[in-house]
Amino acid sequence: MRLGIIGAGPGGYVAAIKAAQLGAEVLIVEDTEVGGTCLNSGCIPTKTLLASTELYSKVKEMDRFGLQLEGSVQPRLDLMMARKRNVVETQVKGIKRLFKSWGIKLIQGKGRLKAPDLIEVSTDEGTEEIKVDSVIVATGSKPAEIPLFPFDGRTILNSTDALELTEIPRSLLIVGAGVIGCEFACIFRELGTEVTLIELLPRAVSTEDEEISDLLEREFKKKKIKLFTGVKAERVELKEDGVHTHLSDGRELVTERVLVSIGRSFNSEGIGLEEVGVAKGERGEIKVNRRMETSVKGVYAVGDVTGGILLAHVASKEGIVAARNIMGEDVEMEYNVVPAAIFTSPEIASVGLREHQAKEMGLSYITGHFPFRALGKAHAMGEISGLVKVIADSRTDRVLGVHIIGPHASDLIHEAALAIRASLKVKDIVETIHAHPTLSEGIMEAAEDVHGSAVHLPRKS
Amino acid sequence: MRIPEDLRYHKEHTWVRVSGKKATIGITDYAQDQLGDIVYIDLPDVDTEIERDEEFTEIESTKATSPVIAPLSGTIIEVNEELDESPEIINEDPYGKGWIVVVEMSDPSELDDLMDASDYERYLEEEAK
Repeated sequence: MRLGIIGAGPGGYVAAIKAAQLGAEVLIVEDTEVGGTCLNSGCIPTKTLLASTELYSKVKEMDRFGLQLEGSVQPRLDLMMARKRNVVETQVKGIKRLFKSWGIKLIQGKGRLKAPDLIEVSTDEGTEEIKVDSVIVATGSKPAEIPLFPFDGRTILNSTDALELTEIPRSLLIVGAGVIGCEFACIFRELGTEVTLIELLPRAVSTEDEEISDLLEREFKKKKIKLFTGVKAERVELKEDGVHTHLSDGRELVTERVLVSIGRSFNSEGIGLEEVGVAKGERGEIKVNRRMETSVKGVYAVGDVTGGILLAHVASKEGIVAARNIMGEDVEMEYNVVPAAIFTSPEIASVGLREHQAKEMGLSYITGHFPFRALGKAHAMGEISGLVKVIADSRTDRVLGVHIIGPHASDLIHEAALAIRASLKVKDIVETIHAHPTLSEGIMEAAEDVHGSAVHLPRKS
Repeated sequence: MRIPEDLRYHKEHTWVRVSGKKATIGITDYAQDQLGDIVYIDLPDVDTEIERDEEFTEIESTKATSPVIAPLSGTIIEVNEELDESPEIINEDPYGKGWIVVVEMSDPSELDDLMDASDYERYLEEEAK
């Protein structure tokens, strides 16, 4: 089996390694850098910056932890960006080493389908055509841009531009309070930027459970991040004193810079899909089935470009499914249990049904809650904001969804993911001994609270 | 537990200091003691209308997040902005620097339904039983 993959992001590179492990001869074409958006301008760079801002946040309140500082600590965005580049480079090298060890051929260039079994690669040296047996298209997505904003990469930014700033903006308007907007809001606010977020929908991170959004919005208030929901930007003017953004509610905001994070558009143009006859949906996404097959036999697609759940770990899983099917297995993607993390401060993580979804589906459900401030460990760490919420089927006691906002939420969520995937009951979580003192006790207590029996909560009146 | 004589009290542990049509509102010494270290108060905006017996803001302490119940109805004309940076003032001086809002009362007769210091003291004793 000779497999050609276009795009070496978390969808493509994982598919490459998996297929190679299963015995395929793999070549992978990448026009920028391996690792894709995730590694080069998404997950990893933002988390690297977040590590700096979280440390800075702790340093600012070090007296609370019994530490005294002679002198002062200054945030240096240029140095944080240098560290970020270093972290990214290390990871990029790591992927390339893996490719080498599995005998995967990386071609630096732009890939394009000429036929279902023919990839044309354009490099600096010219064009070559490569014959393959199967293809995986994993070209990803890019920040969506709207004509209203004159993007210039300096004053009007997309999320990729924001990761290249070397000076801390005095003030920043973030358009779109989704995952990306909220993460950047926390990063820049911690550095001292005056941050304003605007969102068309009625709440921030609207894909999350409502209680989680509410709590995040309260944390924003504490941080003095301004949030206006149910509004949109209607007119933008670049003036001497900054960017003037006129909102649909009549407000006019003046900020040094504007970051637009209104979603992602799919990289499905100019890669030969039309010529080969690969069917696309209305938004330009490649249509696939659960085996990750496109409408053309032998052509698979995975990750953001398929327009499903735009998460790196979903892309990777889709890559694995595609690779296994190409290598003769018969497997399908399952999307019931997809843990998701948002790296705001505090963090958010979720898996399974949101309460509004359970309601819409007409399920009979019960919920349990547990605030982190009732945990000894949270107090010891000095991070008491947030809660764990468990949603369970009230007839079967099965766990339907778990939502966490609070310290290390992204690390805590996987117990819940496993519970839902294994169809476990609330009782199974409750009866599992959880180590003390840990934040994981919050999940156990929230599960206990489903039946009103959390040990560390007062009796409910 | 301090219960100043010159204030009126609501059963949800808020106090009122009256001056003409204006009423200053805060939480009682008992309330701050029960809450523990206060870390945040979600300050309402000036011009917000508040209604007797209804929540008008929330206080977050290291123990819990608790609603603050309005002892009377009116329109907020002043907010203690200092609490934004230093909510712990409420713990330190609940009847003085820890005031929360000043409202213009819409129905001063509501004052008659509030407790005086000795009633509130008895009320707390009952609660403790």
